[in-house]
Amino acid sequence: MSAAEQTIEKLISQEYKQGFVTDLESDTLPPGLNEEVIRIISAKKDEPEWMLQWRLEAYRHWLTMTEPRWAYVDYPPIAYDAISYYSAPKAKEGPKKLNEVDPKLLETYNKLGIPLYEQERLAGVAVDAVFDSVSVATTFKDKLAEAGVIFCSMSEAIRHHPELVRQYLGSVVPAGDNFFAALNSAVFSDGSFVYIPKGVRCPMELSTYFRINAAKTGQFERTLIIAEERSYVSYLEGCTAPMRDENQLHAAVVELVALEGAQIKYSTVQNWYPGDEDGRGGIYNFVTKRGDCRGAHSKISWTQVETGSAITWKYPSCLLRGDHSIGEFYSVALTNHRQQADTGTKMIHIGKNTKSTIISKGISAGRANNSYRGLVKVLKSAENARNHTQCDSLLIGDRCGAHTFPYIEVKQASARIEHEATTSKIGEDQLFFCRQRGLSAEDAVSMIVNGFCKEVFKELPMEFAVEAQALLGISLEGSVG
Amino acid sequence: MLKIENLHVRVEDKPILKGISLTIRPGEVHAIMGPNGSGKSTLSNVLAGRDGYEISAGSVTYQGRNLLEMAPEERAREGVFLAFQYPVEIPGVSNIYLLKAALNAVRKHRGLHELDAIDFLKMIKDKVKLVEMNEQFLYRAVNEGFSGGEKKRNEILQMAVLEPRLCILDETDSGLDIDALKIVSDGVNSLRCEERSFILITHYQRLLDYIKPDFVHVLAQGRIVKSGDADLALELEDKGYGWIDQQLGAVA
Amino acid sequence: MSAAQYLELYQSLTEVLPGQNMPWLSEIRQQAREKFAGGGFPTPREEEWKYTNVTALEKKLFKTSAEPGEEAVGPWLDDFYLADAWTVVLMDGFFSPGLSRLDGLPGNVIACGMTDALKHHPGRVKTLLGSALGLEAHGFIAFNTAFFSDGAFVEIPTGVSLSRPLQILHVSTRPEGLANTRSLVGLAANAGVRLVETYAGAQQAYLTAAVTEIKLAENAGLDHYKWQVESDQAHHFGGIYVSQERSSRFNQHNFCLGGLLARTEIHTELADGAECDMNGLFLGLGRQHVDNHTRIHHREPNGISRETYRGILADRARGVFQGRIVVHPNAQKTNAEMNSHNLLLSDDAEIDAKPQLEILADDVKCSHGLAVGQLDEESVFFLQSRGVGHETARNMLTFAFAQAMVEKIGLESLRFLVQERLLNRFPQSGIRRDWL
Repeated sequence: MSAAEQTIEKLISQEYKQGFVTDLESDTLPPGLNEEVIRIISAKKDEPEWMLQWRLEAYRHWLTMTEPRWAYVDYPPIAYDAISYYSAPKAKEGPKKLNEVDPKLLETYNKLGIPLYEQERLAGVAVDAVFDSVSVATTFKDKLAEAGVIFCSMSEAIRHHPELVRQYLGSVVPAGDNFFAALNSAVFSDGSFVYIPKGVRCPMELSTYFRINAAKTGQFERTLIIAEERSYVSYLEGCTAPMRDENQLHAAVVELVALEGAQIKYSTVQNWYPGDEDGRGGIYNFVTKRGDCRGAHSKISWTQVETGSAITWKYPSCLLRGDHSIGEFYSVALTNHRQQADTGTKMIHIGKNTKSTIISKGISAGRANNSYRGLVKVLKSAENARNHTQCDSLLIGDRCGAHTFPYIEVKQASARIEHEATTSKIGEDQLFFCRQRGLSAEDAVSMIVNGFCKEVFKELPMEFAVEAQALLGISLEGSVG
Repeated sequence: MLKIENLHVRVEDKPILKGISLTIRPGEVHAIMGPNGSGKSTLSNVLAGRDGYEISAGSVTYQGRNLLEMAPEERAREGVFLAFQYPVEIPGVSNIYLLKAALNAVRKHRGLHELDAIDFLKMIKDKVKLVEMNEQFLYRAVNEGFSGGEKKRNEILQMAVLEPRLCILDETDSGLDIDALKIVSDGVNSLRCEERSFILITHYQRLLDYIKPDFVHVLAQGRIVKSGDADLALELEDKGYGWIDQQLGAVA
Repeated sequence: MSAAQYLELYQSLTEVLPGQNMPWLSEIRQQAREKFAGGGFPTPREEEWKYTNVTALEKKLFKTSAEPGEEAVGPWLDDFYLADAWTVVLMDGFFSPGLSRLDGLPGNVIACGMTDALKHHPGRVKTLLGSALGLEAHGFIAFNTAFFSDGAFVEIPTGVSLSRPLQILHVSTRPEGLANTRSLVGLAANAGVRLVETYAGAQQAYLTAAVTEIKLAENAGLDHYKWQVESDQAHHFGGIYVSQERSSRFNQHNFCLGGLLARTEIHTELADGAECDMNGLFLGLGRQHVDNHTRIHHREPNGISRETYRGILADRARGVFQGRIVVHPNAQKTNAEMNSHNLLLSDDAEIDAKPQLEILADDVKCSHGLAVGQLDEESVFFLQSRGVGHETARNMLTFAFAQAMVEKIGLESLRFLVQERLLNRFPQSGIRRDWL
C-alpha cells in the first residue's frame, strides 16, 4: 500500500467528532402518526384552527402518496409509525434571556463550537436555535425589531403574524408537493420565520443552528423567509446531530419568497451524524428547499456545504418567475464511509431574461456514493434565459462512486444553456508535488480539496467559510490520490 | 552530504538505473547529463521519493541518514528540493498559500517558529524579485495558466523560499527561452553557498554556460559512464552523445 | 392497452415466425412474449423513456404480414443503395433475395437473411442472439424478440477485412405496415468491416421496430453507420446493442433525419482497452420527435470513448438527447468524453437533454459538456455584411453546423448521399452545392 493510500485509509476511518448526547429532560410523544397526533402537536403549540386544518389536509394527502425511490440512494424502508413526531425540551417557561437558558443546553452549543455568548459578542449574529423542535433562545430581537425585521420561531409567527403565515406558507412548496414535504406539512414542529420589510437591508446575518438530539425523533422544521420589495437578507443554517445507533429522519421544508428587487442569500452547513463506517445509524436528510423569485430583478442564492447525514436527498431550487430574476446554487457535498448523497438543484426559468448559475462540487471517499441531480428548465415564456452549470466530482479511493444526472429541458429558442461536468481523482502528481514541498499527505489532500471547493466557499459568509473548511477537514482531513 | 552507492532502480520490472554511485559534498554543483531515456529523471524522482520506483539494490545516504526510508515530505523538510521537469497545476490553491504552508511545515520541522503574515510577506517579496516575477503571480492558483517559463521561475521561487540544502533541478532549462534561462540561472546562482549543493539534470550544455558546475557526469543506459569537470560538458556538446555511445561500444 | 391487440394479432402468426421448430428460440420468444404481455410498450413513467411517449402506437394497429410480399418497389428505392456496397435488403420485415446485391461477396463471409441463417447456421445464430442485449429489457426489445419476422445475419471470420462496405437496407412499403426485424452482426478476432444500416420507406405511416445486435471479438474493428431517412409519417424504433471484447473498435455515426417519431438507442459495453466513438446528428422539422439514447458501459480498464452529438430543431420539432456513461468498478484508466450541442431554431421547438455520468472507479478521466443555443448572431451579421441575405446566412450556418458531422463520414459514397439529403431538408437554403 502506498503512503498515499495509507493516508486515505487513516483519514476515512475517522470517527464523527460531534457525537455526544445532552441529557435534558424532554417532552416527547410516543411513536406513531395519525390524526390524533397531529391534533396534539397543533394543540401543544396552541395553534389556530386554520393551521390544524392545513396540517390535517396535508396528512390526508400524504396518506395517498408513495415514497420517492428514484434517487441514487439505497436504504431500508422507513417505519413511519416507529417515529416520534414531537419532542421538546421540558421547558417550564420560555427563557427570556440567554442566562435563563438551561446551562446544559448552552454547554451543548459550546461543544458544537457555536457559543451563543461568543457569537453575540463577536459575530453580531442573531441566532434562533432550534433544539430538537422548539426554539429556545432568540437573540438580537430588539435590534432587528428596530429595522422592522421579524425573526422568530414559526410557532411564534403563527401566533403573532398569522396573516403573513397564511399568505405565504405553502405558497412555494405546496403541502402536497412531494412525499416528504407533505409529511412535514402535517407534523412540522417548529422552525424559523423571517420577514424583511420593503427596502430594508437586514442589519445582520441571521443564523439558526439545528441539532437533532432526542433518540428516535424525526425533526421536521419549517422555515419561511419573505423578502419584500428591494430588501436583502442573508440567512445561515447549520445542522449537527449527536451520535445515535438508529437512523433518524429529518424532513424539513424551507420556503423563500423574493419580491421585486429583493435578494435572499441562504447558506447551509450540514453536518448531521453520518452513521458509522459500516453505515449504521446516521440521519436521513430528506429536505425540500425552494425559493420563489416572484418579483422582477429578484435574486435567490443557495449555498450549501453538505458533509453529514447517512443519506442526503435535497434539491434547493429556484422558480425564476420575475423578469430578470437570478437563481444561484453553489454546493459542496462530501460523502465518506457509506454515506449517500443525491443532491442538486432545479432552476425553472419562467420570466424573461432570467439567469441561473449552478456550481456543484462533489467529493466522494470510502464506499460512499455522491450524485448530482439537477434540472434546468426553460419555459416558452423565458426569453433570453441563461444558464451555466459546472459539476465537478473528485474521487478519493477506488470503492466510491460519483454520478452526474443533469436534466435539461428547453422550450425557448433564445435560451443559452451550458453544462459542463468533469470527474477526476486527486492527481498523484499534485500530491507528490505538495509532499515534495514538505506538506504532509493529509495537509496536501486537505489543501487540494479546499482548492477544489473554493468557488463555492467564496460564496459563504466568512465565519461559515472557516467552519466549512474545518468540517471538510474533520470529514476527510485532506485525502488522496 | 549525499552519497549514492551502487543504486539499481526498476520501473515495472524494467531496469532503468544499473548501478549509480555518486558523492556530493556541501557546496558542490554536479551536472548530470545524458540522452533521453538514460535514466536522468528516474534518478531525480528516486531522490525525491516518488512512488512507482523499485530500488533493487544500492543505497542513498543523505546527511548520514538512509534517504530511501524517508517519506517525500520528510525529505523535503530535511532539505531535499526537487524542481520539477513538469511543474503541476493545482486549481484553486493560490501560490502564496502553498508557499506559506510549505514554509511553515519546513520551519516547524527545523524547530523554528512559524512566520507571521507580515514577516512572511516581507520575505516573499524579496524572493519574488530574485526571479523577476510579477507579484500578481503569488495570488494566482499554483501554475494554473502559467507559461512554461513562468512555471519554471515559480519552481525557483519555491526553492528560494524553502532554503533547501540539496537542490535537484530536473531539466529546469527545458522549454525556456534565453531570457528566462538567464533569470532562472541567476536565481540559482544567488542561492549557491557553502552549505548548499546542487544536482543539475540536463540534456543540453547551455544551462551550464550560466551555472558553472564543479563536476559533470554523463549518464547513459542507466550508468554514469564518464565524469569530469565543466570541460566535459563542452566536449560533450562538441562531439554529441554519439561519442559516448561509441565509447560504450568500445568498452563492451 | 393495445399491447393486447398486438399480442392477439401475433398469436396467429406464431406458427410462421422463423425458428419456431427450435426449442431454444421458442423459449426465448416465449419469455419475451410474457414480458411484453406484462408491461406493453414503454411509457414516460420509465426513466429512460421520460421524454418520449409512444402511446400513439397504441391508438393504431400496425400490421405485419405472415410472409414476404411481392409489392413493387418504386424507383425511389434506388436512391438508397450505396453504389460500392454489398447490400442486404429487408423489405417490410423480410429478407428480399431479389432486391439484395451480394454478388462477389467472399465465400467465407456470411451475409444473408435471418430465416436462412437459422436454417443453415443455427449454432451461430444461437451464439449471437441476445448476446449483446445484456440486461436491456424494455417493452420494445421484448416485442422485437417475441415477434421478429426476419432480419439480416452477418458474420466476418477471423482476420478478414472487407474491401467494400456492407449495407443493410431496411425498407417499408406497406401503409400501416410493421417491419419487426432482428439483425445479428458478428466480427471475429481482427476482422474489420464498414457497415451501413439504412432505414427508408414510402411516404406513408408505418412502424419500424428493428434491433441490431453486434458482437466484436478481440481487436475487431467496425465502422457502423446508421442512416435513418424514414418517411415523415413513420414511427421508428431502432436499437443497436454492441458487445465489445478486448481492444475492439466501434466507430459509430448516426444520422437521424426522418420519421414522425424516431427513437434510436445505441448501447455498447467495452472490455479491456476497447475503444468507441459515437457521432450523431439529428434534425427535427415540422412536428418531428427525434430521440437519441446512447449508453456506454466501461466494464474493464483502459477503455476509451468519445461521443459527439449535434441536434438541430426547427418548427415544432422536439429533440431528445440522452447520453449515459457508466464506469464500472475496476474500469480504471477509463477515458470518456461526451459532448452535445443543440440548436433551437424556432420558438416552438424543444430540446430535452440528459447527459449522465456514473463513475464507480477512481482513476478515470470523464467529462461531459452540453450546450443549447442558437446561431451565433455575430456570424450571421458577418455574412450579411458580406452581402448574404439574412435567411441564407442563417441557413448556411445551420448547414455548416450539421456539415461538421457529415464530414466525419469516412465512406465517400455515403457522405454524398447524406449531404444531398441534408440539403434537401433545407429546401430554401440558398446553399449552392458547388460551395461544398
